[in-house]
Amino acid sequence: MPHTLRTFVRHAILIAFSAMIVLPLVWVLRVSLTDKLTAYKIPPEIGHLSLDNYIEVFRSFPFALWFGNSVLIAVLATLISLPFATMMAYAAARFRTGGSPLWIAVLASQMLPPIILVLPLFMVFLSVLPVDSRIAIVIAHVAINLPFMAWMMVSFFEGDSRSLEEAARMDGATRWQAFIRIAVPVAGPGILAAGLLGFILSWNEFLYALILSDSSSQTLPVGLAGLETHAGVDIAPLAAATLLALAPVLILLPFLRKYLIKGLSLGALK
Amino acid sequence: MTTSVVNNAPNRIHVHDRRFGWLLTMPGLALLLLVIAFPVLWALFTSLFEYTLINPGFHTYVGAGNYAKALGDPEFLHSIRVTAMFVVAVVVLEFALGFLIALMLNDTERGKDLYYAILLCPLLMNPVVVGLIWRMFLHPSLGIVNYLLGRIGIPPVNWLGDVDVAFWTIVMVDIWHQVSFMIVLLLAGLAALPREPYEAARVDGASSLQCFWHITLPLMRPVIVVTLLIRMIFAVKTYDLVYIMTRGGPGVATDFISYFIYRSAFVGLDLGEASAMSGILLVIVLAMTAYLHRSMRAIS
Amino acid sequence: MKKFLYALSLSTLLATPLAGSANAAETVSILMEGVPDTEYVKALIPEFEKQTGIKVNIEVVNYAEMHTKLVPQLVAKKGSYSAIVVDFYWVGEFVKAGWMQPLDKRIADDKFDTTPYVPALMDLVGKVDGVTYMLPFYNYAMGLTYRTDLLADEKNKADFKAKYGSELTKPATWGDYLKQVEFFTKDGFNGVVNQGLRPDPIAMEWSNYLFANGGQFQDANWKATTNTEAGRAALSQYIQNINKYGPVGAASFGFDEAFNVMAQGKAYSYITYNFFRTSFDDKSKSSVVGKVEIMPVPGTAPGKSGSLNGAWGWAIPKSSPNPDAAWTFLKWVESFEIAKKRALAGGSPTRNDVFADADVLAKFPYAAALKDLLNQSHNFPTFTYTPQFVEVLGRELSLAVANQKTPEAALATVDKEFDELARKDGKLK
Repeated sequence: MPHTLRTFVRHAILIAFSAMIVLPLVWVLRVSLTDKLTAYKIPPEIGHLSLDNYIEVFRSFPFALWFGNSVLIAVLATLISLPFATMMAYAAARFRTGGSPLWIAVLASQMLPPIILVLPLFMVFLSVLPVDSRIAIVIAHVAINLPFMAWMMVSFFEGDSRSLEEAARMDGATRWQAFIRIAVPVAGPGILAAGLLGFILSWNEFLYALILSDSSSQTLPVGLAGLETHAGVDIAPLAAATLLALAPVLILLPFLRKYLIKGLSLGALK
Repeated sequence: MTTSVVNNAPNRIHVHDRRFGWLLTMPGLALLLLVIAFPVLWALFTSLFEYTLINPGFHTYVGAGNYAKALGDPEFLHSIRVTAMFVVAVVVLEFALGFLIALMLNDTERGKDLYYAILLCPLLMNPVVVGLIWRMFLHPSLGIVNYLLGRIGIPPVNWLGDVDVAFWTIVMVDIWHQVSFMIVLLLAGLAALPREPYEAARVDGASSLQCFWHITLPLMRPVIVVTLLIRMIFAVKTYDLVYIMTRGGPGVATDFISYFIYRSAFVGLDLGEASAMSGILLVIVLAMTAYLHRSMRAIS
Repeated sequence: MKKFLYALSLSTLLATPLAGSANAAETVSILMEGVPDTEYVKALIPEFEKQTGIKVNIEVVNYAEMHTKLVPQLVAKKGSYSAIVVDFYWVGEFVKAGWMQPLDKRIADDKFDTTPYVPALMDLVGKVDGVTYMLPFYNYAMGLTYRTDLLADEKNKADFKAKYGSELTKPATWGDYLKQVEFFTKDGFNGVVNQGLRPDPIAMEWSNYLFANGGQFQDANWKATTNTEAGRAALSQYIQNINKYGPVGAASFGFDEAFNVMAQGKAYSYITYNFFRTSFDDKSKSSVVGKVEIMPVPGTAPGKSGSLNGAWGWAIPKSSPNPDAAWTFLKWVESFEIAKKRALAGGSPTRNDVFADADVLAKFPYAAALKDLLNQSHNFPTFTYTPQFVEVLGRELSLAVANQKTPEAALATVDKEFDELARKDGKLK
């Protein structure tokens, strides 16, 4: 295929895919600008558009609190689990620490349906680790994120940096230096993707956040789920809140752009 | 196709290396032991007792009784079957679509930021919200989807109320929600690939399909395996989506295992049996993991 | 690593100010659901705080997750909720597990009068086996909402008379109603919209059909009785109403979907919780403002009701950190004065004296109908395994509606599993 045609097809596929993602969100936007009556009108009517739902989200619901809690908890959970997971992954990739049994056991801790762990987890935080509820949620999220992030990163440490590390060790670098200065940058995209995964897991985590939170530490998932009640779903404010809750994309993007999106490869490093 | 990893793999690990390895592993491991090991072991222990929420306590040891009861329950076996179908469907479909998009995106410069930002959006929506919003879109008579289909002459689809359709509706919504997860991980894997093999292949005059088949795919295998594995574990635990959209219905068409286990624990109040069911589930997922893990180790 | 350490120390720094949450001693924390009645309570709380100096902290979560969130709290020796609200579903379980404190001594000491409560509600979310554990908070008895404008239409009246030989009026019996459902289903308009989602929407709705046919869930000895003539008729009618007279997809509707069909003016009737009556007059949700009225679900004969009862109660859990303050709050929020204020704001009362109040009647003329509805409504069997029975009932009904089981087979399973649960609970000997 000629180059231009190939580019064209590629963009056609990407645009079609993006449309599949975006069109439902456009409809969410529309719902967020109207009321429940208009939202369900078929055939659709544009009706009177207003920002009332966005105001309502802040006035009738503690949206700012939910959002703040979610950002704080997801950021902390990611920042804490990232170094732990990186170290575990490196040790597993380089030194086979603990071997397969340990490695599978780590992941096995995530295979039970979380609902079954609710009671004992609550007991842990009630008697062993009686901490503030936000910190409890952060700790629980770190425990959820760690195994996945570590598993993800292993394959990135299996790459080509081993010979570079050996060369550095010859030049007198310590193991720690070889790890931090060489292995970590080479595995950069993997580490960032794992960080992103951790952030998303924590951002959306519902059950543990529900069990461990009180009214001042509710996160977005817990708060937004409360908009579905016995008396119906507050769909219009929910739509507004959903769109507002996408704000982290804008926060994450500059971060990710540099490493993940543009692609940091070994070639660039050398 | 071999990778340099295989050639350089150390046969013996130096004792200092081993110590360093443990040093790096300990902090994370300690945290896991502190927070997650107790609940997991507690749940497995509970599965051996008659432990109900209205009479909690380890008074009556029943051994494998709860396991036998669970395995003898046709509804439980049915929900394992439905879940297995769901896991296979979403993992396969999301991987196929996700890998395609990741490959396209990896080759793209212009507009990459925008594409990436768009695909992140569903990932930042939690399943409860996704379920509620799609329920609205898929309302048979008041939803936008059936309205648009009607405009092109397709009669209203009973998305969530028809036994044969509901399962695939859930799969479809899950793909919309989670396919980006695959893309993010696979794209990171592609970004980390070394460039030399491609340059060498180009010199030899290999086509892009040959490059994909002989270079990309083998080098990506560890990342692919891990991605599939993680996605599989999440798919097995799918709960909120069916809870919000169908509650396992119509009939028992979407009665996934986590929702089933939730019900035996918090509706049936039988934590012992629910734990046994979780134990059975754990064995199944572990077997899958061990299999995938071995296939990963085989190449690295 | 420096960066990581920096991040770690930064995180500790960020977290520190959050650690010291409010002093629990004089705070009453309550877990509730985000329904209108909760909002009415919230609005009045400053009054209570000013009066007593006790702070009230209401935590709102999704209904479905409330139980999951409550259980670990209730199992613990000391939880964080001073008071809780209890759905009638959970009453049997909570009593059996011993999670609620008896209120009788407090009621007697403070001479709190429980006689004004609607007796059916006291049975449902008040007393269990002679012990008072709860005060009824608000009711969600179900009623028949129907379109008054369609009944008043002259052409409809004439057409109906020509077809059935009787007058088109507010249905006096269940049979009259079923005729109207058939009559109004035409040209893309539906005679009825149902909520066929399992488990509770379908189970609760079908209960009205059962009672309307003169059926019961169980006899005096707790032997199940749904697989009877009345039960089978109720299920056949229900299947027909969903699949023949209802909109496409009613088999998967929760109350929100069903409400929207009715509110968009696309159906004649909907059997639902009485608090939706107010929503039909809300211009932001409904296109049929002023055209929907509510009545008790009609029964086998005029004056008989098929309505299902439902309610929430206030309780003080055993694990309450400060039961005395919680009781102070309960008796304030359930006093006539505050109950009346909540009713005037739009709440669903539980006290006959509030229903009979002149101001309440002046503002909500349909309060009289609601009082009738409530006093005539039937209670769902409440025992330890009510939620599990709702699951069974919902699943079997859903299978029958999906034509995967015959009504007889579905109801036979319902009866069998009900008996098992009742036996397990010691109700059925």
